Amino acid sequence: MNPRPDTPYLNPYLAGIGLGLVLLASFVIMGRGLGASGAFSSTVAWLTNLVAPAHAQANEYLGEYVGDGSTHPLKAWLVFEVIGVAAGALLSGILAGRARLAVEKGPRVTTAIRLACAFAGGMLMAFGAHLARGCTSGQALTGGALLNVGSWAFMLMVFVGGYAVAWFFRWQWR
Amino acid sequence: MMTPLYKYGFFGEEFSLLVAFALGLGFGFFLERAGFGSARKLAAQFYLYDMSVFKVMFSAIVTAMLGVTYLGWIGVLDLDLVYLVPTHLGPQVVGGLVLGVGFVVGGYCPGTSVAALATGRIDAMIYALGIFAGTFAYAEVYPAIKGFVNANPMGQVTLPEVFGLPWGLLVFAVVLIAVVGFWGATKIERWVGSRS
Amino acid sequence: MNLRQFTLNRKLALLAVALGTLALLAQPHRGPFVKLDSRELAAVVEAEVDHVTAPELAAWIVEGRADYRLIDLRTAEEYAAYHIPTAENVPLTGLADYPLLRNEKIVLYSVGGIHSAQAWMLLRAQGYEAVYFVLGGFDAWQDEVLFPTLPADADAQARAQFERAAQVAKFFGGEARIGVAPEAGQAAAATAPAVASELPKLTAPPPMPGPATPVAKKKKKEGC
Repeated sequence: MNPRPDTPYLNPYLAGIGLGLVLLASFVIMGRGLGASGAFSSTVAWLTNLVAPAHAQANEYLGEYVGDGSTHPLKAWLVFEVIGVAAGALLSGILAGRARLAVEKGPRVTTAIRLACAFAGGMLMAFGAHLARGCTSGQALTGGALLNVGSWAFMLMVFVGGYAVAWFFRWQWR
Repeated sequence: MMTPLYKYGFFGEEFSLLVAFALGLGFGFFLERAGFGSARKLAAQFYLYDMSVFKVMFSAIVTAMLGVTYLGWIGVLDLDLVYLVPTHLGPQVVGGLVLGVGFVVGGYCPGTSVAALATGRIDAMIYALGIFAGTFAYAEVYPAIKGFVNANPMGQVTLPEVFGLPWGLLVFAVVLIAVVGFWGATKIERWVGSRS
Repeated sequence: MNLRQFTLNRKLALLAVALGTLALLAQPHRGPFVKLDSRELAAVVEAEVDHVTAPELAAWIVEGRADYRLIDLRTAEEYAAYHIPTAENVPLTGLADYPLLRNEKIVLYSVGGIHSAQAWMLLRAQGYEAVYFVLGGFDAWQDEVLFPTLPADADAQARAQFERAAQVAKFFGGEARIGVAPEAGQAAAATAPAVASELPKLTAPPPMPGPATPVAKKKKKEGC
């Protein structure tokens, strides 16, 4: 089922300005920008630490998110921020009548295939984001506004990568 | 110079977590308002019939960029204290490509997937599970790819520094690129829309 | 898209271009330039709340306090030979870029105290409030903490204080000395310890916590 928006989406420029102001607030209040992928890393680190603590702490990547044990891995700035993202989105969705259990997909593809692609896309996204030290929120938006070299290079390549393979996946969306 | 507030000691770590939640609220709210809780709208960017991703992203960048520029200029914000993610050109270029592919395949990016799953999109929930799996896989192979991941370190460097140009000039350039880009994007949308 | 929204987008674009053009003149980075409140700083110096004494610092370390950052401004060789426990080695020129939070308590020391006083001024100018230098610098640490000397003509109260100082000296691997009467200037100079050879080795340091924000193996704070 594809949801039809009951309320039209906000003018993209106004939405962008709103986002930009939130980002600016983050710079002024915290001295850092927004992000998302780091919260996923913290969560994976926490889960791994629950099941196999020695492995989690020894792992060079996850170890940084587990820390030295003095604070809980989930007591991280990004984790709280991402929870806020969920809450804010839910609020907006409820107000707009867009909150409902659904699967977003094009008309030509089955739900099963769509979900499989979603999972695969998520895995790819994880690799991309961790290699780049951020995702579109942390690198493109935050780094873009601060004229960060790596962020602009990253942002450019996101568009390049997406457009390069779009044609091969058009059956999923059109 | 009194900001960033946190780095001038106005509040501690515990309160900063509340701040994180509040900022996230705004972030998620505007993401969903823009329609980014929908994979179809997000993916549409790459099929040229809905360029909202580009419009929203660059409006946000321009807004925040002008904001830090002016606040830094009048001395309210100490821009040197705002964290800049260190640049590692190689892995960030490759990461961007991979992320772009993931965007088209999965239909979301990490932030928008959270916005979408909060509004009930099952594919976004599966996507998030994919991120977990991918993160774990990344951690497992990390020792093997560590060399590449830390390649080309350039430290915390900005475009004005690398090009040797004044900050204000780059800001002006970005604004121009954005505005022209918006005009062009709308033209493309209309052209693609009229064809189908 | 209706007409009102079309005009709105045009207005936004115009606003953006206007702000972007004005931004051509912007210089948002403070750079190395700082503003000094000379009166305030002079008052702080006169009130003597700009420094701590070596024994005071020693007491903090013995207590195991972790609420300060101790900065050693000497050369790397001097630092490697011996440094006050919990100190971090930062040259004067690297101080501006060193990651220090503005709400942290920062204690500076150099060889004699002059560089640390200058560094104090620089940090205060950059907006750090709780900055202190060790009065007398590393020389004072040696004379008052590591090798406290009891003059031969000391009274009972001085002796009691000296006992405590001797305990502290032992904690840091130094030793207390019973000195000669102050009139015999040359003899006193002869018994003063030679600098490098008598400094305690830091291989088995007294038990103390690491600096408040250690460099490695701490949870990733920034980044996305």
